[in-house]
Amino acid sequence: MFTHYLDLSWRSFKRTPLVSILMVLAIAIGIGVTMTSLSVYHMMSMDPIPSKSQQLFHPQLKTMDEGINWWTSNDMPTQLTYQDAVNLQKAEVPAKKSISMRSGFSVHLGDGSIKPFMSQARFINADFFSMFQLEFVFGDSWSLAQEHNATPVLVIDSQLNDKLFAGTNSVGKQLYLDDKAFLIVGVIKQWTTHIKYYDLNNGAFNETENIYMPFPLVEANQYENWGNTNGWKHESIRTFEEKIRSEHVWLQFWVELPTRDAKKDYGEFLLAYMQEQQKIGRFNRKELDFALHNVTEWMEFNNVVSEDNKVMVALSFMFLAVCLANILGLLLAKFLRRAPEIGVRRALGASKTQVFYQHLVEVSLLGLFGGLLGILVAQLGLWGVRITRDYYENLATMDITMLLAAPAIAIVACLVAGLYPAWLVCRTNPAVYLKSQ
Amino acid sequence: MLEIKPIFKALMRSKVGAVLLLLQIAITTAIVSNAAFIIYDRVTYLAQDTGYDEENVFSFAILTFGKDRDLMQQTELDETFIRNLPGVIDAAAMSAVPLSGSGSATGFTLKPQPEISKRARAAYIQGDEHVLNTLGLTLLEGRNFTSDEVVVTESAREVPNVVVVTKTFIDELFPEGNGLGQTIYMGDLPAKVIGIVESVSGPWLKDSRPKNIVFIPLMKAMKAQNFVVRTESGAREEIMKNIESELLQQYPDRVIDWLTAFDKSKDEYNAGDILMMRMLIVLIAVLVGVTALGIFGLTLFNISKRTKQIGTRRALGARKSAIIRYFLIENSMISLVGLVIGCFAAHTLGQLLMQHYEIPVLPIGYIIGTALSVFVMSWLAVIGPAKRAADISPSIATRSI
Repeated sequence: MFTHYLDLSWRSFKRTPLVSILMVLAIAIGIGVTMTSLSVYHMMSMDPIPSKSQQLFHPQLKTMDEGINWWTSNDMPTQLTYQDAVNLQKAEVPAKKSISMRSGFSVHLGDGSIKPFMSQARFINADFFSMFQLEFVFGDSWSLAQEHNATPVLVIDSQLNDKLFAGTNSVGKQLYLDDKAFLIVGVIKQWTTHIKYYDLNNGAFNETENIYMPFPLVEANQYENWGNTNGWKHESIRTFEEKIRSEHVWLQFWVELPTRDAKKDYGEFLLAYMQEQQKIGRFNRKELDFALHNVTEWMEFNNVVSEDNKVMVALSFMFLAVCLANILGLLLAKFLRRAPEIGVRRALGASKTQVFYQHLVEVSLLGLFGGLLGILVAQLGLWGVRITRDYYENLATMDITMLLAAPAIAIVACLVAGLYPAWLVCRTNPAVYLKSQ
Repeated sequence: MLEIKPIFKALMRSKVGAVLLLLQIAITTAIVSNAAFIIYDRVTYLAQDTGYDEENVFSFAILTFGKDRDLMQQTELDETFIRNLPGVIDAAAMSAVPLSGSGSATGFTLKPQPEISKRARAAYIQGDEHVLNTLGLTLLEGRNFTSDEVVVTESAREVPNVVVVTKTFIDELFPEGNGLGQTIYMGDLPAKVIGIVESVSGPWLKDSRPKNIVFIPLMKAMKAQNFVVRTESGAREEIMKNIESELLQQYPDRVIDWLTAFDKSKDEYNAGDILMMRMLIVLIAVLVGVTALGIFGLTLFNISKRTKQIGTRRALGARKSAIIRYFLIENSMISLVGLVIGCFAAHTLGQLLMQHYEIPVLPIGYIIGTALSVFVMSWLAVIGPAKRAADISPSIATRSI
């Protein structure tokens, strides 16, 4: 029966091509506009690491003295001080954990064979690689001993490896960062995440770093932080030593807590840690406070999806509603004009339900066409987004979910619009039309 | 005007079509007025005067890794070299570049901290006495730094004791306008205000105090050093193209990066707003088009349904203008109701947007303006079909009866 209805729908489509095409166009434009903004929204809000987003946590500590506020929604800094980050890293807690900091260097091979260029680097602890599921193509992470001794070693990603060593195994070779030589111990597959969820301080959609280095090198070589540094206290800070002893916050920290109990225990540990620190004069406040956000909560907390985008999504759905009102009008016109024909079919024994279904199949077909054409319109829209803002390069695309969502939304929307006209036409009284034939 | 009653009665017989039209007009009014206001908001923001000659200024950074040269000396050599390039008006090394979105800011106070006193937030830019001229700033009061006042240092212990500030900043601390010659504090370090320049934008256009800048005469040896260059009109492109190779010729053990024109870096900083503005313009255009088509289509449908009635009216002596008037009045009646609902919807939507997002209150003028334009649009959409209806021949009415 369904194929018969499809056949009928197609005939009906061909019989009034202009109205049908108008309807398909209206749906296509509505879906196109909606999908353009929805796709960007979807890419921005998508879980970047589904298997672990509920297990990786970023702690926040309320370090400020009593009476001092922070501008975040939970009144706590988004980063940690050097002292806290190092203490949390060294604490004997049975969990994977890593400090994280962004910096950058002039990269060259020390022999003048390539033109030196700038590259960004991330300082981390060895756990970072497994916590964030970074795969090694060659070699492996540095050893704990190397990390502990701030040995000049590093891991590069395949993009840099391709550029410098044509993709060959570069483990054991040397790389110069500024004027210092470092030993390459591993090459990871390029980290392709469209949201830089592990460091949301300087643009959530920037590219990942190409170089990964042991965090203790920061202190050993007095490396500068290329991210944000914030303070709340009047401190005279002019040297690196003063900076790492200060209350300035400038480091990210991640800890992997696979179970609820682990999270609870870690929370208790953080409280105990702050109480311990109070003894040496820090955390001068009555109520100690901390927060543990997992990846999805952290993205929400840092407003990864921009306000503009949410407004756009809302407005485009309203736009879709206007297109639907249009389609509803056109469907009414089209279906009611066919009333005589329906009268005959009803007289010949078609039930109301059958007539109703037949028309719903017809509107679904229109929805399908409109949805498919809408994908093309959305591609055009997304292309427009990409050329206006190249920062959105990886975001202004439709993944498979969105490609399937387009016709699905279109069909559902058309069914909603088609319900009333279909109901109206199935109530046709056969007698009236038979008389006038 | 007597026709209103019969038209209303006729409408009541086909309510659905009228309601659909009314809904479209209402939603269109709500969306367009809010979108138009957001566009206006962005256009004003984007068109703001930064105070710079954006077309003739550019910036770049030098990352030095070679250890055989003294960084400070090299920076000064580079400055002199760039200043002597043909077409360059002035150049200076700066700790932060305006409009770039990256820099440092702090609270400046009237008394040394930790004493509590009046405080104003400002971005600070460190550099030598060429900074003001490089950025093309005019002094309103006081004077520029002399080269003797510029502290050139390797250690962090030496600090300058004079500053030049923007007018907005000093007026925030000294609202009476007597800021020149006063002493302000950065932490516990005092500095005398020796000059006040016109208000220009700092590193962040979206800062809470975008035009508060303090210029500090300090040159520090930096591994990564920003440079800003102002060129003669039209010379920028050529200079930007060659600057990297020319500087590397001077000394090769370094990397030149982030070469950006001022107008370009402003556009990059504002890319999100430009995108939003364009998307909304497209949305409005398409929406108005779709609604107009909807009105057009529904009127055509109504006419085709009423062909016989129109023919009868014509046969009974109605003029063509009477037929046109009928459809125009019918459309106006629907539109007006739609517009009234639309105005309330626009207001509600505006309130919702204001509550949840940082969007200012939607001015009533936008709603009224939009309502008027939608009304005109609906007339334009209906006039074609109405003329067609007027051309229906009276004979049609007689034919099939």
